[in-house]
Amino acid sequence: MTAYLTETPPAAARPKAAVKRRARRKTRQWLVGYAFIAPAVVLFLVMGLYTLGYSVTLSFAKWNGFSPSWDWVGLKNYHDLLYADPRLAPEVQRAALNTGVAMVAVSAGTVLIALPLAVLLNSIRRLRGLLRSVYFLPYVTTGIAVYYAWRYVLEPDGAINLALRSIGLGSLARPQGFLGDPDTALPALIVVMIWGSVPVAMLLYLAGLQAIDPSLMEAAAMDGAGTVRRVRHITWPLLVPITVAIVLLSLRDTMQGFQIFLIMTNGGPAGHTEVLGLKAYQQAFMQSMSPTLGVASALGWLIFVAALLLAVLNARLLRGTR
Amino acid sequence: MTGRRRVVAALAAATLGLAAAGCGGDDDSGTSDATISMWTFKRTHVAALEQAAATFKEKTGITVKVEAFTPDDVFTSKIQSAAQTRDLPDVLELHAGGEDMRVGGGGLLTDLKGDFDEAKLQRFLPSTREAGRVTDERKAKIEELANATVGTLYSVPFTAGTFGIVYANKDKMAAAGLDPDTPPKTWEEFLTYLQATTKVDAKQGGLSLGLKVTQTGFNWVYEQLAFAYLGADRFKALFGQQAGQGFASADGIKTLELYSQLKPYWIPGASALGIDEADVAFAQGKSAFNVGGTFTMAFLSQNDMKPEKLLTFPVPPATGGKVSDLRLAPLALTGLAVTETSKQREASVKWLDFLTGAEGAGIFAKASLDLPATDLGSQAETLIGKDLAALQKFFTGPPESMYDAADKSFRPPDYDEVEVGNPLLKMSPLGEVAPAATGAELDKVLAAMWQSK
Repeated sequence: MTAYLTETPPAAARPKAAVKRRARRKTRQWLVGYAFIAPAVVLFLVMGLYTLGYSVTLSFAKWNGFSPSWDWVGLKNYHDLLYADPRLAPEVQRAALNTGVAMVAVSAGTVLIALPLAVLLNSIRRLRGLLRSVYFLPYVTTGIAVYYAWRYVLEPDGAINLALRSIGLGSLARPQGFLGDPDTALPALIVVMIWGSVPVAMLLYLAGLQAIDPSLMEAAAMDGAGTVRRVRHITWPLLVPITVAIVLLSLRDTMQGFQIFLIMTNGGPAGHTEVLGLKAYQQAFMQSMSPTLGVASALGWLIFVAALLLAVLNARLLRGTR
Repeated sequence: MTGRRRVVAALAAATLGLAAAGCGGDDDSGTSDATISMWTFKRTHVAALEQAAATFKEKTGITVKVEAFTPDDVFTSKIQSAAQTRDLPDVLELHAGGEDMRVGGGGLLTDLKGDFDEAKLQRFLPSTREAGRVTDERKAKIEELANATVGTLYSVPFTAGTFGIVYANKDKMAAAGLDPDTPPKTWEEFLTYLQATTKVDAKQGGLSLGLKVTQTGFNWVYEQLAFAYLGADRFKALFGQQAGQGFASADGIKTLELYSQLKPYWIPGASALGIDEADVAFAQGKSAFNVGGTFTMAFLSQNDMKPEKLLTFPVPPATGGKVSDLRLAPLALTGLAVTETSKQREASVKWLDFLTGAEGAGIFAKASLDLPATDLGSQAETLIGKDLAALQKFFTGPPESMYDAADKSFRPPDYDEVEVGNPLLKMSPLGEVAPAATGAELDKVLAAMWQSK
């Protein structure tokens, strides 16, 4: 017993010590992990939460950005934007309509162009890498400089009118330019946005296509299914989750983006291309230093709520496709 | 020995420290070697301001550093962020009669009343003298002035001028068989000029204006045309709340019809051009006529359009109207202000004094081709050159013929010119609505402005 007693402690101590060591190691690992993410968390707390809080608070106030105090107005900014202000509300409604049209058109256009393009790229072996890079160029180059280039292309003496006239389709040319004509200004901007968003969508589709088991396609082909049937009944159903993600990205980008509208038309002609993002920017910085930062902030939060609803919808759609 | 060295070193350090503190002091006791900073929103002013600053340095030893932030939204956000960090410059050039009031009312500007007394303000054109002053009317209209004292002078006038000046390309006029030295006397004659130049060159013979900034059509052409046709009282009534006197009235529709006669003559794509782009198009020969303000001369010149190639005239009045020789009252376009946070107040005020004096204003105007608010009197042509002095002739005339863009008394308190610009743009050049429907829409817009206050 004594011998037992004298011999057993080291044997029992070993596992205890090992457990302690493991616990210490684990704690150290947690600490290291937390230390690594700490800068990001702190940055988020300082920059993210602070600015979010600041922005929410500002949406209940009137301020011009430099006066020493804010003028609290409660929910007035939201009421004005939605219905109360006879000047602002109709403009916001018109901008919301344009934004909705652009969101639907850009999303649909992106899918309709990117999917066939990805299917074609997936079906070829030669030059695939080169073509992929070429098709990706719009995404790499898109930005302010490219928007200016598009303006030149779309102006009265621009490349598109010139091309239409030179191939005998002069009746389709727009004498005021595509951006100066109220019937074509918004569609022209939608085309430019689709041009900018197709590359990423195409790459996502391509990745999805390459993940499809080739034996599925071979089996379908052996059963006599042609290319169109294979795409419709096999490829498309398998790509629905990717499509949902692409549509959501397009919707979000179009809803929140305003640079293209600011640079190419500034909402014109006569408000035909005004969108919510641009309206918020104009309220913030283009009102001759009037105290409209609160209204701009409130509009930003309304856009955020709409984006949130879209995200929830997207999550449900994604769950439904699984 | 070591102890003595320590004492000597400590004394030396203290002396150096005191000397350094003396050099970097915040007081205004010595301004001769001061450096002040100035921000403007007009890039066309920078070179001219630097030229004036060079002379100012020779005279006073004070250095002025000028920076431009454009376009306006960038300038606005720059001021907003600098105000937060208390990093504003010493001097600001601001839009006069509104922006300066908001910035001043926001507590960013110092009161210049003591520096520019009544006697000193006499140097400015009469209609511009009080542009930077807080008045009862301004206090009632501008929220930021709620706590401001009436009489406070937030800015002094710097540049003056007016809108509604037509610039004609003499070469294109000559090519169309028109006398390049004879401006049209009436609106109808102006339309025949446009007809002639567009007949010669349909694409590049028309009228340019930066209609992407929608209010330009309303502010720079329509108002002058309507004022001349209706006379001051009936013109002002268009903006009022009296039923039957607004834009949908016979007066309103008639003047809108006159404006809509321009529709065939706008250059292609005018509705997509910004103000600068329209001026550039004119300078590049893409239009025969261009509407702007007195300030447009500077920009055209910077874009290689020589003043001697230009014929200038105010928007011509329509036949049968109340005014047959339209004159345009000059208003202060920009003002100069000293910021509340400036540590070089005395030097900054000296710079303002120089820049608005005859010598400084002359240097600036000649270099920038922008008209100063300083009344140069008989010296004008000598100081600013004949081309610029020629523009000043539109400023004088009988009061009943004088359109004054600065008169806001008859407009709604929170008047927004962008909102009246859009309906006009839809009528011409877009052609989406007729004059009668445009009149009704304008009345609706103005009613909303009256209602929202």
